[in-house]
Amino acid sequence: MELLINLTVNGLATGMLIFLLASGLTLIFGLMSVLNFAHGGLFAWGAFSGVWFYTISGSFIIGILGAILTGIILGFITEKLIITPVYGNHVQQILITLGFMLVLAEMLKVVWGPNQIAAKVPSYLAGSWEFGDVLIIKYRLFIIIVGFVVFGIFQYMLQKTKIGLIVRAGVMDKDMVQSLGINIKRVFLYVFMAGAALAALSGVLFAPYSGVIYAEMGFEFAILAFIVVVIGGMGSFPGSLFAAILVGLAGSYMAYYVPALSLAVNMLLMAIVLIFRPQGLFTAKG
Amino acid sequence: MKNKFQWNNLFLAIIVIVLAVFPLVSDSRTWTILLTQIFIFSILAMSYDILLGYTGIVSFGHAMFFGMGAYTTAVMLKRMEPTIGVFILSIVCGMLLAALISFFIGLMTLRLKSHFFAMLTLAVSGLFLVLAEKWRTVTHGNDGFTFKAPEFFKDRMMFYFVTLICLVLVYLLLRRFVNSPFGRVLVAIRENEQRTKSLGFNTLHYKVIASVVAGVIASLAGSLYAVSLRFVNTSVLTMDITLDALLMTIIGGVGTLIGPIVGAGVIELAQHYLSGLAKEYPIFERWIIFFGIVYILAVIFFPRGIVGTVREKFWKRKTKTRPLGKEEVS
Amino acid sequence: MKTLLKVDGIHTHIGQYHILQGISFEAREGEVSVLLGRNGAGKTTTLKTIMGLTPASKGAVQFDGQEITKKATYTIANAGIGYVPEDQGIFGDLTVEENMKVAMRKEDEAAFARQDYVLGLFPDLKKFWKKDGGHLSGGQKQMLSMARAFVNDSKLLLIDEPSKGLAPIVVEKVMEAITEMKKSTTIVLVEQNFIMASRIGDRYTLIDDGETVHAGDMADLIRNEEIKRKYLGIG
Ligand SMILES: Nc1ncnc2c1ncn2[C@@H]1O[C@H](COP(=O)(O)OP(=O)(O)OP(=O)(O)O)[C@@H](O)[C@H]1O
Ligand SMILES: [Mg+2]
Repeated sequence: MELLINLTVNGLATGMLIFLLASGLTLIFGLMSVLNFAHGGLFAWGAFSGVWFYTISGSFIIGILGAILTGIILGFITEKLIITPVYGNHVQQILITLGFMLVLAEMLKVVWGPNQIAAKVPSYLAGSWEFGDVLIIKYRLFIIIVGFVVFGIFQYMLQKTKIGLIVRAGVMDKDMVQSLGINIKRVFLYVFMAGAALAALSGVLFAPYSGVIYAEMGFEFAILAFIVVVIGGMGSFPGSLFAAILVGLAGSYMAYYVPALSLAVNMLLMAIVLIFRPQGLFTAKG
Repeated sequence: MKNKFQWNNLFLAIIVIVLAVFPLVSDSRTWTILLTQIFIFSILAMSYDILLGYTGIVSFGHAMFFGMGAYTTAVMLKRMEPTIGVFILSIVCGMLLAALISFFIGLMTLRLKSHFFAMLTLAVSGLFLVLAEKWRTVTHGNDGFTFKAPEFFKDRMMFYFVTLICLVLVYLLLRRFVNSPFGRVLVAIRENEQRTKSLGFNTLHYKVIASVVAGVIASLAGSLYAVSLRFVNTSVLTMDITLDALLMTIIGGVGTLIGPIVGAGVIELAQHYLSGLAKEYPIFERWIIFFGIVYILAVIFFPRGIVGTVREKFWKRKTKTRPLGKEEVS
Repeated sequence: MKTLLKVDGIHTHIGQYHILQGISFEAREGEVSVLLGRNGAGKTTTLKTIMGLTPASKGAVQFDGQEITKKATYTIANAGIGYVPEDQGIFGDLTVEENMKVAMRKEDEAAFARQDYVLGLFPDLKKFWKKDGGHLSGGQKQMLSMARAFVNDSKLLLIDEPSKGLAPIVVEKVMEAITEMKKSTTIVLVEQNFIMASRIGDRYTLIDDGETVHAGDMADLIRNEEIKRKYLGIG
C-alpha cells in the first residue's frame, strides 16, 4: 500500500512538471498551429538560470522568479526572431524551431559549462513526512501543489478574464477573432511568453527534484511534453493536465514494475493515440 | 539545355576522378579518414534529401535507419566471420530491415499532418534507441562493442574507394529516381499534396515508397559508418545523427542531391577544423552553435542552401521548384 | 451622399487560384448595398478581401477616406467595419455572453447601451445568455453573429447570406433586424434570396466568375428581367 502511494506521489510530481511544460506547448499550438520544437530548450534554460539565481542569492524563491523572468525574456526573443519569420509555413517552423533547440542547448554549455550541475532542495522543503507507514517526500508534494495552483490560476484566467476568452476564441477561430478587431499576433506573443515562463518554471522545479541538471534534459522532457500534447489534444489546457498525469503515473508505475518498458510505454501510448485518434482525447473545439 | 547538362556531368566526373586519385598521391591518413567520413554522411544526407527536399516530409527519426544498418553490419561481422561476403550480406540484410520497417511506419504515419509526423518519427526513433540500450545481449547497450572489419579493409585506402564508389552509385541512382516520372510526382506532392491527390495520384503510396527509398539508403550509410569505426554503440541511433543529416541537407541545399554532398563536406571539414581550434580556444568546442545559427539563417533567408543559391545566382537558371514546403496555416 | 466604401478593381488569389478578377463597387453611407451572384461567383471572397482575410493582390479598397487594402484584419475591423461571416463564426465553447464580451472592444456605457439595443432586436439571445454558442440553433447563431458585429460602433457592416438555411419565419426576423440596423449604419449584404434582397437593398452589384458584371439601383434590377434571368436564373 505505502509503495503504491509513493509511486503515485512520484508519478503525480513528474506529471505536474510535464504538465507545466506541455501547457504552454498546447496553447501555442492551439492558437497559431505552431509546434515549437524548441520548447524543451526553454525548460533547460529555466533550470540552469533558476539554479544560478538560487545559488547566488541563496533563496529558492528568487531562483524560481529568476527562471520565470528568463523564460519570459527568452520567450519574447524566440517569438520575434524565430517564429515570426516563418508564420504559416509548417515545414519551416518545424525545421527552424528544432535548430533553435540545438542552439539553446549549446548556449547553455557556453554559459554554464558542459558538465552537469547539482541542485539541492531548499532546507525548508527537504525531508519527508511520515504518516504511519507512508512516507511523503515534501518536495514532491510541493511540486504537486505548485502544479495544481498554476493550473488553477491559468484555468481561471482562461475561463474568466477577457484575455483568456480571447485566447480560447482564438484557438477556435483565429480569423473571426481578428475580424472583431483583435490583434491576434500580439495575443499570441503574450501566450508564447507565458508558455515559455511555464516551461522555465517547470525546469527550475525539476532541478532539485532530479538533483542534477544537464543540457540534454531539454530534449528528453520535450519528447514527454509532445506526447502529452498529442494525447491530451492540441490546444486543450485541461487535456494536457489529464494526459500529463497519465504519462507521469504510467512512467512511475512502469519504472517500478516493468523498468524495461518505462520509456517505451509513453511513446506507444502516443503512437496509438496518433494513429487512432489524431485529434487527441480532448479537443479544443467543442 | 542538353549542353549544360553535359557540362554538369563533366564537372562531376572530374571531381570524382580527382577524389579517386587523391589517396594515390597523398598519404595523409587524416585526409583519407576525413573524406571517407564525408562520403558516408553524403550518402545519409542524400537519403534525407529524398524526404525533405523532394517530397517535403520532415522526419526526425532518420537516425533509426542509419542505426539499423550500423547494428546489422556490426552484429553480423562480429557473430559470423569478418569477410567481404558477410559484409555485403549484412548490408543487404540492413537494407531489407530498413525497407520493411520504413514501409510499415510510413504506412501508418504518413497520412498524418507534417508536425504530427515529425513528432511521431521522433518518438519511434526514440523507441529504437531505448530498444538498443536495453537489448544488451546483442548491442552491449550504451558501451557498444568493437568488431573486426574484413581483411580487405585493413588498408584504409580500400575502404575509401568502396565508400566513394557507393557514393557515386547512390548519387546516380537517386538522380535517376528523382528525375523519373515517379520523382516528379514526389515534387508535385511537396508543392501541393492536395492538388496532387485531386489529380488522381495516391499520394500516400508515393510518400511511403519515398520513405522506403530514403530508409534503405540511410541503412547503407549506417553499415559503412560502422565498418569505418569498427565499433558501434547507441550513438548511431541518437537525434544527433538526424540533426547531422538535417544540417547537411539544409545548409547544402534541399532538393538538389548535390547539395547534401556539399553540406556534408562543409560540415565535416568545418567540424574538423573547429574542433582543432578548440584545443586553443575552448569556445570552439561549441562549434555546433555556429552551425545551428547558420542553419536557422539558412531556413529563413537561404532556404535553397549553398547549391540552390549558387545555382540561382551564377547559372541564372530559375529553379522552378520552391524549397521547404509552403503550405498555408488553415 | 458620401461614399463610405470603395472597392476598386480588386484581384484576389487563394493559393494558386485566381479567384477575384476585377471586382469594383461602392457602398454609400446609409444605404444597403447588395452583392448578388450565383454560387461560387466570389461574393464571400469579396467580403473576406475587404476584411483583409484574403488580401487583394491587385486593386484597392478604400474605407471612409482611408486606404485599407494592405492593412491587417484587426486594423480594418477597428477602423469601423463589422463582419458577419457566412458560417457566422460563433465561438462554440464560449457562451452567448462571452461571445459578446470578446467582441466588445471598449466596455463603456455606450457599448452596453448598444448591447441592450441589439438584445432588444434579438430577445432570444437574452434568453440563452449563458448557453454555449455551439448549442444555439442556426437562427440564433445568425442573430448572435449580427449582434456581435453591431455591438461596436461600426460604420459599416458586412453581412454574408444571413438567410442561409433558416426557416422563413426566422428569415423575416433577421431581415427586420437588418432594416432596423440600417437606421444607424451602412450595410453591405450578400443575399441569394432575391425577394429579401430586393426588399431591403438600395443598390446592387452583380458578380459573376469573380468579376463585377452589373451594378446600379435595386429598383432598376427589379424591372430588368433579362439580367435576372441571365445571372440569377430568375424572372
Ligand atoms: N480556400 C479556397 N481555396 C480554393 N478555392 C476557393 C477557396 N475559397 C473559395 N474558393 C473558390 O472561390 C470561388 C468563389 O468562392 P466564394 O465563396 O467567394 O463564392 P460565393 O459567391 O460566396 O458562393 P456561395 O454563394 O456558394 O457562398 C469558388 O469557386 C470557390 O471554389
Ligand atoms: Mg459565399
